[in-house]
Amino acid sequence: MLMKNKVIILGSGPNRIGQGIEFDYACVHAIQAVQEEGLEAIMINCNPETVSTDYDTATRLYFEPIVMENVNYVIKKEKDILGVLLQFGGQTPLKLANEFRERGITVLGTSPDSIDLAEDRGRFNALMKELGILQPEGNIAITKEEAIKVAKEIGYPVLVRPSYVLGGRAMRIVYTEKELLDYLEQAVDVSYQRPVLIDKYLSDSIEVDVDALSDGEDVLIGAIMEHIEEAGIHSGDSAASIPPYTLKEDILKEIRDQTIKIAKALKVKGLINLQFAIKDDIPYILEVNPRASRTVPYVSKSVGYPLAKIATKISLGRKLREILPEVFDKEHHVASDFLPKDFKYFTIKEAVFPWNKFPEVDPILGPEMKSTGEVMGIGTSFGIAYYKAQLAVDSKIPTSGNIFISVADRDKPKIIELVSEFLKLGFKVLCTEGTAYFLKSKGILVEKVLKVSEGRPNIVDYIANKDIQIIINTPSGHKERSDAFYIRRAAINHKIPYTTTIRGGYAILEAIKAIKNSQGHIEVFSLQEIR
Amino acid sequence: MPKNTNIKRILIIGAGPIIIGQAAEFDYSGTQACKALMKEGYEVILVNSNPATIMTDEELATKTYIEPLTTEILEEIIKKERPDVLLPTLGGQTALNLAKDLYESGILEKYGVGIIGASYEAIKRGEDRALFAKAMEEIGLKVPPNAIVNSLQEGFNSIKEIGFPAILRPAFTLGGTGGSIVYNMEEFPSKLSAALEASPIHQVLIDKSLIGWKEFELEVIRDTKDNVVIVCSIENFDPMGVHTGDSITVAPAQTLTDKQYQMLRDASLAIIRKIGVDTGGSNIQFAVDPNSDDFYVIEMNPRVSRSSALASKATGFPIAKVAALLAVGYTLDEIKNDITKNTPISFEPSIDYVVVKIPRFDFAKFRESSKVLGTTMKSVGEVMAIGRTFKESLMKAIRSLETDNPYLFMKDYEALSYDELITNIRIPTPERIFYIKEAFMRGISIDKIHEVSHIDKWFLHQIKELVEAYKEDVPFDKNYIFELKILGFSNKEIAKKFNKTEKEIEELLQDLSPTFKAVDTCAGEFKAYTPYYYSSWEYPYYKVGQEEAIFDND
Repeated sequence: MLMKNKVIILGSGPNRIGQGIEFDYACVHAIQAVQEEGLEAIMINCNPETVSTDYDTATRLYFEPIVMENVNYVIKKEKDILGVLLQFGGQTPLKLANEFRERGITVLGTSPDSIDLAEDRGRFNALMKELGILQPEGNIAITKEEAIKVAKEIGYPVLVRPSYVLGGRAMRIVYTEKELLDYLEQAVDVSYQRPVLIDKYLSDSIEVDVDALSDGEDVLIGAIMEHIEEAGIHSGDSAASIPPYTLKEDILKEIRDQTIKIAKALKVKGLINLQFAIKDDIPYILEVNPRASRTVPYVSKSVGYPLAKIATKISLGRKLREILPEVFDKEHHVASDFLPKDFKYFTIKEAVFPWNKFPEVDPILGPEMKSTGEVMGIGTSFGIAYYKAQLAVDSKIPTSGNIFISVADRDKPKIIELVSEFLKLGFKVLCTEGTAYFLKSKGILVEKVLKVSEGRPNIVDYIANKDIQIIINTPSGHKERSDAFYIRRAAINHKIPYTTTIRGGYAILEAIKAIKNSQGHIEVFSLQEIR
Repeated sequence: MPKNTNIKRILIIGAGPIIIGQAAEFDYSGTQACKALMKEGYEVILVNSNPATIMTDEELATKTYIEPLTTEILEEIIKKERPDVLLPTLGGQTALNLAKDLYESGILEKYGVGIIGASYEAIKRGEDRALFAKAMEEIGLKVPPNAIVNSLQEGFNSIKEIGFPAILRPAFTLGGTGGSIVYNMEEFPSKLSAALEASPIHQVLIDKSLIGWKEFELEVIRDTKDNVVIVCSIENFDPMGVHTGDSITVAPAQTLTDKQYQMLRDASLAIIRKIGVDTGGSNIQFAVDPNSDDFYVIEMNPRVSRSSALASKATGFPIAKVAALLAVGYTLDEIKNDITKNTPISFEPSIDYVVVKIPRFDFAKFRESSKVLGTTMKSVGEVMAIGRTFKESLMKAIRSLETDNPYLFMKDYEALSYDELITNIRIPTPERIFYIKEAFMRGISIDKIHEVSHIDKWFLHQIKELVEAYKEDVPFDKNYIFELKILGFSNKEIAKKFNKTEKEIEELLQDLSPTFKAVDTCAGEFKAYTPYYYSSWEYPYYKVGQEEAIFDND
C-alpha cells in the first residue's frame, strides 16, 4: 500500500489590510513543520511578495490562484494527499472549507465544523451559555425599528455592524439613537437578507487577545496580550503588551480557565485565538477564531516558541506533551505557559498606519482595521518597551515640552491624574476651552488654546510652529470634519506623537517616566539573549 | 574571486514594518540573504523592527534584534556586536537611508564597519537626483527635463522651463509619498509645498510629465569582475503616470521591438557601471516613446526592490541570494544555479511563459480617499500569475485577486453611459481593466480605447480577443469549451456564458486537466530540478493520470 505523505498548504493570497505578512509567516512555519515530520509540503499561493512562494521553501510550489478550480487541479495532480491545511492562510483558504468537505477532501487539524461553530452567532452563543461564559449582550435586527428597540433594550453605547463582514468593515460604535439612525440610513442597508448585529459596547473596558494551542487533551496558553487601547479599537490596530501590564493575576487566571474551556469545547486541534473585554474586572468573550491569528508571530517572537509550527504538528496527529515535554515541566508565567514565572521583559506590539498615503482620511482608530503592518519593542519595563515600539513606528516620545490635551466629555474625568502627572514631569499642558474649564474645576490650571473654529492663532498653528510635542485627542464621535480632524491631520503631517485614546495617553506617560529613569539610555536585546 | 575571509560578522538591516510601498517582499529578500550568508559560515547580526517576519526567526541569524530602525539604536547594536561590515541593500529604502545616516554621522568609521553590497558613493549617485542626472548625461543618456528644487521660489523658476503637466517627486521617500502630477499654475504652489514637506531633506524633483509614454523596468545584477546579467524585463500595462507599484505589469516585456529592447539593455549595462554598483542588483526604470525609439531613464534603485522580488519569482533567479553572495566576494560565474544545479548563475534566465502582476487595493478601508491612481503608491499587496500566454496569465491573475469581483467576465457594467465608460478608461483606477472589457463588449474600437488610455494596442488586442471569444455564439460543446480554457477562462465564467452551473462545466471537463509546467530559468534548455510549477491549458494537453512525463525531470 502506498503511504500518503503529501500535505497541501493553502497560502493567504494577496496582502491586504487585515490579512498581511503574519499569515505568510504562519504558512512558512506550517511548511517547515510538515517537512520536519518527514512529509512533503505542497504550497499553493499567488502572492509574489512572500517567503512561502520562494522556490526552496516548500517541497513543491504551485503558483496558482487560491480558488477551488485551480486548487482542485493541483490536488488531482498530486493525488494521494494526506489532507489540506487551511488554518494558516487567514480567511482565504477557510472560504474553501465547506467545498473541501463536499468533495471529500480531508481538512487537517480543527474541523471545518468547529470553525463554523465559532463563526455562527447562534451556535456560538448557545455554546457560551452552556459553558457559563459571559458575552456582551446583543441581538440581531432586520428592520430599523427593530434595531432601535434592540439598542434601547441593551442600552447605549452599542456596537453595530452588518452580519457576515470581515475585518470590521462598516462596524461602528454609536452612542445615541440619532447616531444609530444615521448609521442605518447612510452606512448599511438593513433587511431580512442583510441583518445588522447590535451588541452592547463595553465602554472603558480593557481588551485582551489570547493565542493558545490545543491537541484536544491539553491546552497551552501561548500568551495573554493586554491591549493598550480600550476595547472598541480593532485588535489589529491596537498596541498590545506581553505580559499584561495592568490586569490583576486573578483575572488572568480566569481568562486562562475560560480559554481552556472554550478550546476543549470547540475540539481545537491546533491554534485558537480569543478576544475578551474586561469590564469592572469581569471578562466577557468577544470573539473566537480556531485558527492561526494575526498575533501568532508576535507571540512566537515574545515567548520563543514557534506556535504555528507546533500547531501544524498537532494537526498531523502529534500531542503537545510529546512535542513540548519541557513546557509541561516548568513553572510558568500566569500570562503564558511558555514563559518562565519570573520573565523580566515586556514585549510590545504597535501598529503602523498608511495615513500619509490618504490625506483625505481622518487618522482615527475604531472597530475597522486600518493598519498595514506592525513593529515590536522589547524592554525591561513596560515604559521602555512602549517607548521603543513608538520609536519603531517613527514616533519619538519627547521627555519635555508642551502637551496638547483635548478629550470628549465622557473622557474628561479620566484625565485628571494624567494631566497632574505630566505637570509634575515638567510638561506644559495646553487644552481647548472645555477641557481647560473642566480641569480648572478640579483645581488644575492649564493654558488655553483656540480651536480651529475659534480663530487664530489656533492649535493647528501651534502644531505647525512645532510648539506642541505630544497630542492626546479623543474623538467625540459626531462631526465628520470637526476641529479634531484638523488637529489629527496636523499631527500626522508634522510627525508629532499623538494618541486618540486615554489609555494611550497613560502609556506615553509611562514611557516618559521610564526614559527619564534610564537617563535617556536605551538598552538593546537580541532575541537569543532574552531566552 | 572566491569569498572574502577577512569578514566574519555581517550586519543586515531589514525594512521594518509593512507599509504601502515597502512590503513583505523585503522579508523574502532578507530571508534569502540571511540563509545564504549563514550557510557560507558568516555570523549574521540582523536588525528589523517587524516581528511578523520569517527573517527574524532566531535560527536565521547569529543574533536577531527586533529593535527600532533608528541611527541611535543601530549605533547601540554596532557597539555591542561589533560587525565587520554592513549589508544595507536588502532592507529597501529604510535600510539604505539608515546606512547613509550611519556613514555620514561617522558611526561606521568610529566602529570600523565597512559597507558591502553598494558603496556610499553608489547609493548617493543612484538616489540623489542631481548626481544621477549628471551621471546619465555623461554616458549619453537622457533623463526627463527636470529641476531639483529646495524651496517654493526655486520651484517657480524651474516650472517655466519644464512646463505643465509636470510630476513632483520628493527626494528620499518611499513609494512616492507626497508625489503628484500638476497641471496648472494654480495648484502648483500647494502641491509643491506638500512634496517639499514629504521629503526628509526638503528636496523635490520636478519632472517633465511623460504621460502616455510606455514604462519598462530592467532588473540588472553585476559582480566585481564586471559581469552583468539582465535578470528580467518588465513592462507596465498602464503607461507612465501610474506608479509602477500600482500598475498591472507583465514580464517579459511584450511590446518592444528587438532593437528597442537591445537599446534598453545596453543602457542598463552602461547605467549600472556608471553608478558603480559593483556587487549586487539594481532596478532601472525607462520611459519609451510609443511613436519612436526615443526613451528616457526615469530612475535607478541600487538595491533589492519590490520589482526584483517579482523578477525573482517570475524567473526563478534568486536575486537577493545572489546579491548577498556577490557582496561577500563571489562572482556570477562562481555561483551555481540552484535549479539546474550545473549551469552558473551568470546564464541569463530565459522565460517561456508570461507573468502578470496585478496590484491589490483596499480603498474600502479608506472611503474618503480618491481611487484615482497616480504617482503616489496606494496598493497594499499584489498577485502574480503565470501562463503560457498573456491572456491566460491575465485571467489567472485577476482570479487571484480575491476582490468582490475577481473575474474579468463575471460583472457587467450595462448601466454606464458611453461617456461614463470612456471617463473610467481615461482616468486610471483599479477597475480600469474591467471597463476596457466592457468597452469591447459594446464594440468600441481599439483606436478609441488607445486614444483615451494610451495603453499599448497590443494589450488591447489581447483583451479584445478574449471578449470576442466570450461573445461568440457557439454550441455547448466540450471542444468549444476547451478553446475557452486555453484562453484562460475559468469554469465560473464559462458557466455564465452558457447559462450553466460551474458544476456542469466541471463535469463536462472531468477527463481533462491543465498541464503543469516548470519555472526552470532556462526554458527547458537544461535539465532542471525545480519544485516550482504553474498550470496551463496550452496544447499539448494531458489526460489525468497520463501526464507523468512532465514531472520526469527529477
